[in-house]
Amino acid sequence: MPFGYHGRYLRIDVSTGTSEYVPLSEAILRQYLGGSGLGVKLLLDEGAAVMDPLAPEAPLVFAFSPLVGSPLTTSAKFAVVSKSPLTGRINDSLASSGFAIAGKACGCDAIVLVGRAAELSALVIDEAGVRMESAAEYRGATCRETETGLKARLGANYRVASIGPAGEHLVRYATISHDGRHAGRGGSGAVLGAKNVKAIALRGTHRAEWANPGELTTISKSLSKRSFGPATAKYRELGTATNLLTFNRFGALPTRNFQSGTFEEAASLSPEQLSTTRSRTRESCVSCTIGCEHIYSLGSGGVRVEYESLFALGSLCGVSDADAVLRASQRCDELGLDTISTGGTIAFAMECVERGWLDEPWLVFGSGDALLRAIDLIGSRQGIGNLLAEGSRRAADAIGHHSIDFAPQVKGLEIPGYEPRALQTMALGFAVGARGADHNRSGAYEVDFSDKVDRRHVTLDAVRHAIDTEDKAALMDSMIICKFLRGVFEDFHAEAAEMLRSVTGWDVNADELRETAKRIISAKRQFNLLAGWTPAEDTLPERFLSTPLPNDPDASLSRERLDSLVAEYHRQRGW
Amino acid sequence: MHVEFLGVPRQRAGISELEVQANTLGQLLGTLATQIPPLGEFIAVDRLHSSFIANLNGDQFISDPATPLVKDDRVLILSADAGG
Repeated sequence: MPFGYHGRYLRIDVSTGTSEYVPLSEAILRQYLGGSGLGVKLLLDEGAAVMDPLAPEAPLVFAFSPLVGSPLTTSAKFAVVSKSPLTGRINDSLASSGFAIAGKACGCDAIVLVGRAAELSALVIDEAGVRMESAAEYRGATCRETETGLKARLGANYRVASIGPAGEHLVRYATISHDGRHAGRGGSGAVLGAKNVKAIALRGTHRAEWANPGELTTISKSLSKRSFGPATAKYRELGTATNLLTFNRFGALPTRNFQSGTFEEAASLSPEQLSTTRSRTRESCVSCTIGCEHIYSLGSGGVRVEYESLFALGSLCGVSDADAVLRASQRCDELGLDTISTGGTIAFAMECVERGWLDEPWLVFGSGDALLRAIDLIGSRQGIGNLLAEGSRRAADAIGHHSIDFAPQVKGLEIPGYEPRALQTMALGFAVGARGADHNRSGAYEVDFSDKVDRRHVTLDAVRHAIDTEDKAALMDSMIICKFLRGVFEDFHAEAAEMLRSVTGWDVNADELRETAKRIISAKRQFNLLAGWTPAEDTLPERFLSTPLPNDPDASLSRERLDSLVAEYHRQRGW
Repeated sequence: MHVEFLGVPRQRAGISELEVQANTLGQLLGTLATQIPPLGEFIAVDRLHSSFIANLNGDQFISDPATPLVKDDRVLILSADAGG
């Protein structure tokens, strides 16, 4: 067994509660590392690509990584990987903190769930083995309530991941939550809900040994020290919410279902403004020295404020009432809903109402009350919520009127807060993304915010830069290490190789890791091909290709230009 | 020319906008480091730290200290990392 790993995964059939350890060869671990990469490999081996993701036989993978449990800052992360019930394509979503460490301490590099429990259950893995317990008392409970309840039942030293009511109701963009953080995108919560598993509670005592603990400690100290510097100042001092005014200044803040790139009331949602009337505290994931989480007081509690939630539930729905946006974000956390898909789908419905194609006159842009009402309806699949729980693509199919032209999605996944016409390298990243429109699997916005391209008139030269960011993300998501660290590395691949060498003892170098990243990207493509992907999916909705942004006629992206970028991307990938 | 600060640079500067006289980006950054000491951590002589970037008139992102500036230009100073 290599250092840094246990050399096996735990496969559990929740229908019966039976489990087995399945060996993982060193070759497979070196080729796919862990996290997203290992998760995709296991899904391919399970034949998941051709399964209904909500069927009992469909596997759901929790994948850890060689760095989990090490002193390397930000390494306490895990990947949840499955076929997405929202897109029908590969989905890998990441979350952080103690669940990752506890999972690896259970003596495995991944946990694979198949089957469907007879009743709503909690899966418990500890020193006594694997067992299913009733979770009937948590039916309808929020993520936090479930986690708190299970820890009270089992012990405070268990680490729990759970679904909220949205996962129970199979909302196609339901999340899996741990300690207030979410494996958010693509509906992994619905996959767990379809297995009738409300929560997973972990406690373990196994430790993976490091190949060179002394060197690992030196690297870890250096990385931690740099994590306090200018490269992460944004995350420490203001959080991702600071993007809001920056993007608004550049006409790149999606507003009213992407009908505009500027929101006239953006300032009311900025962290600077939020801080004037609310207290703010910071939190960190376990093993993290950055502390990017900014918690704003709300009522008797608090809510994590992230850019993506502010944009999706704020400007995208035309809502400037900060209290309403924060309550909406908090409600999504409680129900276990992906804020991006929730906001995107509601904003789409608001535009359909505006056009007279949806008879829900209360659902209008700018109404905080409507936003909150819609979220609750989605979480319970009641009324219009039953349609919106399907996501904007399926809702558009049901509504008709060519509304698919402005459903804000790629491959069914709602578009994050980066206006594609104003950030055209990112537009390419969205179009070709294996899991759909996504800012975590492609960092192409970095290219747009640089002197490498003209963000509103990108040329084929942008393609190689977009590929570089996608490859880098694949590596970071498989090792796993937080992307908020990326600015601290002088040469990421060389340093990543150094980390892996000290943990695993492999003679791995930067070139090998570049190849590893490409292998992982190819595995995702292989999954999607088996699932029915065609090149026609690598595009954007018609709105972005036929309508320039108002107030910024330069922000125009033609179908011909996007098609040429996508074709060049496929050519450079060798596809 | 007119300088706008966004995000962390705005927080450190304590202001959102400023009028500065400079003929090049390098001159501008040197002046900012002198006039607003809290920004000094982000400026090495005539260049921004790699985690920060300048933009000219909302269009082109610029990094070469020799980039010429004219009176009516608007220079934006912001975090280079747009991740969210």
